[in-house]
Amino acid sequence: MTHSNDQSGAGGSRRRQILTTGLGAAGMGAASALLPVRRAWAGAEKKLKIGFISPRTGPLAGFGEADPFVLNLARQSLAKGLTIGGNTYEVVLLDRDTQSDPTRASQLAKDLINGEKIDMMLTTSTPEVVNPVADACEAAGMPCLSTIEPWESWYFGRGAKPGQPCPFKWSYHFCFGVEQFAQTYLSSWNSDVKTNRKVAGLAPNDADGNAVRQHLYPILRKAGFDVIDPGGYEDGATDFSAQIAHFKREKCEILTTFPIPPDFTRFWRQAAQQGLTRQMKIVEVAKTGLFPSQIEVLGPLGYRIAAAAYWHPVFPYGSPVSGLTSAQLAASYEKHSGHQWQQQLGASMSLIDAGVAALQASGAPTNKVALAAAMGKLKTTTTVGLVDFTTGPVPHVATTILIGAQWVKSKPGSKYKLDYHTIENAEDHKVPVQAKLLPYRMA
Amino acid sequence: MIWLNQLLQGILLGGYYALMAAGLSFLFGVMRVINLAHGSLAVLAAFLLLMIDHWLGVSPFIGLWLMLPIMALIGMVFQLGILERSLSGGPLIPLLATFGVSLLLDNILFAIFGANTQSFAPDIGSLSYGSWAIGHSIDISQLDALIFATALVLLVGMHLLLTRSQLGRMIRATAIDAEAASLSGLDPRRVRVVASVMAMIMIGVAGAALGMRSSFEPYAGGAQLIYAFEAVVIGGTGSLWGTLIGGIMLGIAQNMGATINPHLSQISGHVVFLLVLLVRMRMGSLRLGNFLRKRMRPSVVSA
Repeated sequence: MTHSNDQSGAGGSRRRQILTTGLGAAGMGAASALLPVRRAWAGAEKKLKIGFISPRTGPLAGFGEADPFVLNLARQSLAKGLTIGGNTYEVVLLDRDTQSDPTRASQLAKDLINGEKIDMMLTTSTPEVVNPVADACEAAGMPCLSTIEPWESWYFGRGAKPGQPCPFKWSYHFCFGVEQFAQTYLSSWNSDVKTNRKVAGLAPNDADGNAVRQHLYPILRKAGFDVIDPGGYEDGATDFSAQIAHFKREKCEILTTFPIPPDFTRFWRQAAQQGLTRQMKIVEVAKTGLFPSQIEVLGPLGYRIAAAAYWHPVFPYGSPVSGLTSAQLAASYEKHSGHQWQQQLGASMSLIDAGVAALQASGAPTNKVALAAAMGKLKTTTTVGLVDFTTGPVPHVATTILIGAQWVKSKPGSKYKLDYHTIENAEDHKVPVQAKLLPYRMA
Repeated sequence: MIWLNQLLQGILLGGYYALMAAGLSFLFGVMRVINLAHGSLAVLAAFLLLMIDHWLGVSPFIGLWLMLPIMALIGMVFQLGILERSLSGGPLIPLLATFGVSLLLDNILFAIFGANTQSFAPDIGSLSYGSWAIGHSIDISQLDALIFATALVLLVGMHLLLTRSQLGRMIRATAIDAEAASLSGLDPRRVRVVASVMAMIMIGVAGAALGMRSSFEPYAGGAQLIYAFEAVVIGGTGSLWGTLIGGIMLGIAQNMGATINPHLSQISGHVVFLLVLLVRMRMGSLRLGNFLRKRMRPSVVSA
């Protein structure tokens, strides 16, 4: 549209408004089936831009493996736009890969906020991704919803102090925390597998490791488990023989660990070399061992490792955005990607579920204050279960469930090398339990 | 017993560091070039091996025999295209040139392979976690022992080659005084190409060890360079024997530190490095190639 010189600016902009509204109305009517969606809602104020930042490559790549599939599913489901408060918005998802680099994560967030002028930020998977993104959003006044990082690492790791008012205004987080780890671990470790209740605690000197050391170990100790902590190591360590010798000397029979995946691979091979694996009865990993690929690289050392699941195809919950149940989501992923399902699939889906629910609850999704307020009051069921910000342990946080699960060698004839069975459901009895915990042993 | 075990593990780790450092030490000794692309070249070697394994579906031990000739070829190109040209420009130019090569390599590898972490461990079966038990509390990893033996053979072999063979005499002569060497009928250019090819083969073996023992990604080169550099400096610049000792000292320092507290692992390695550096500076023996010169001159004269 061009302006001739004799027209006033005000008149011009009104005419543009009428034109775009007209276009939008036409789109809402008959044109949606005929015209490409993008053209039907070409009006600038009718577009919702959502940033989605996750690690797709680098040491944390396992977390992002299913994200292209989830984003594709979300784009298809949202292709008709979102109707909120009587307006229909075209939804644009802008996904970015942090390459597992926190500095890059922060830069990507700033680019999306300032360059792409997004309306909402979604981010997931580990403090190395979520914390820098949430901090950038907090600084820029951008509503940000995140998941898959123990909430203590997110809340206390970003400067909040226990007992003091919440310092955050724009960032919201839903995830399990130390309490959930403790519940599922205690439920698993008090099962039929008898141990001497001596726990080897291997945690690095990073946000997750320190949260575990300060908050999880005391709960486990109170419950009668003797947690041996040789101290934090630096991520990327080349040798673990000191820690292994320590755990051997203490005759630990349970391992709990929160390492980045390459470190665990190195540690567990060395543990096998030096005979630690032989004395272990329960091997409980977190942050690694979540996905089949991370267990497969361990070869015969990987069978019977337990790792609490934040999502599983047996979850009785579905995705409101895609309309798929948990079982359907897993099946659809396996069909489209050719890979075995993995739990981040459900978590990334739930992030989009919750984000869309917040947009709808806000009534005015382009109003950042209204959107942030809607996040704070959000109570909705997503793929991973209930997300309820009104009853969180601290403001701006909602907790989700963890279910105990164990990797076992799959039955002959299976397409995949490993199966991942739920073994307890202390936190949500609606989730079916598939098998009993088996004691660890090298295959 | 725990200290004895830690000492042994430290020595084995040291063998790995020495293997990582061999190529760096050699190139430094014979050409007085601090090759800042060393770590990136080792990672390049690992990626070459990965590609060979994927294409041919062979074990890394077989793939190695294909990867090493490729690395030798790369060494030739590296020498003629970059080092030879920069050598005439004073000591700073090779430093900057190899730094540039390392940046280039890291980013090319990233562009081709992405940031994903790779490892050969799943391809070498039980060797990646197998061990021999000695008594109750000492276990020797089979892979670490293999790496240690490789480092020993490689460094001793190179040392013998330098001191006992005609080729070694030619390399040393060129290292000490290229002009005098060319007056005696040597072509320093060709000798330097041979030296560079040998260094690159050592880097290739180091890259394979890196991929089997732990994991690698395109930007892993920097960390490899630091440990290799520390091993070279601790052991005495330009001495291949010294590099083995330096690697072992670094490995022991790290493991002893970790036994006191895991926090101290990397710090104690760096502290040993700094202490040795300070002592050497005090004694004035850190001039480039100094160590090599002192040890070589008599044998060159006798030759």
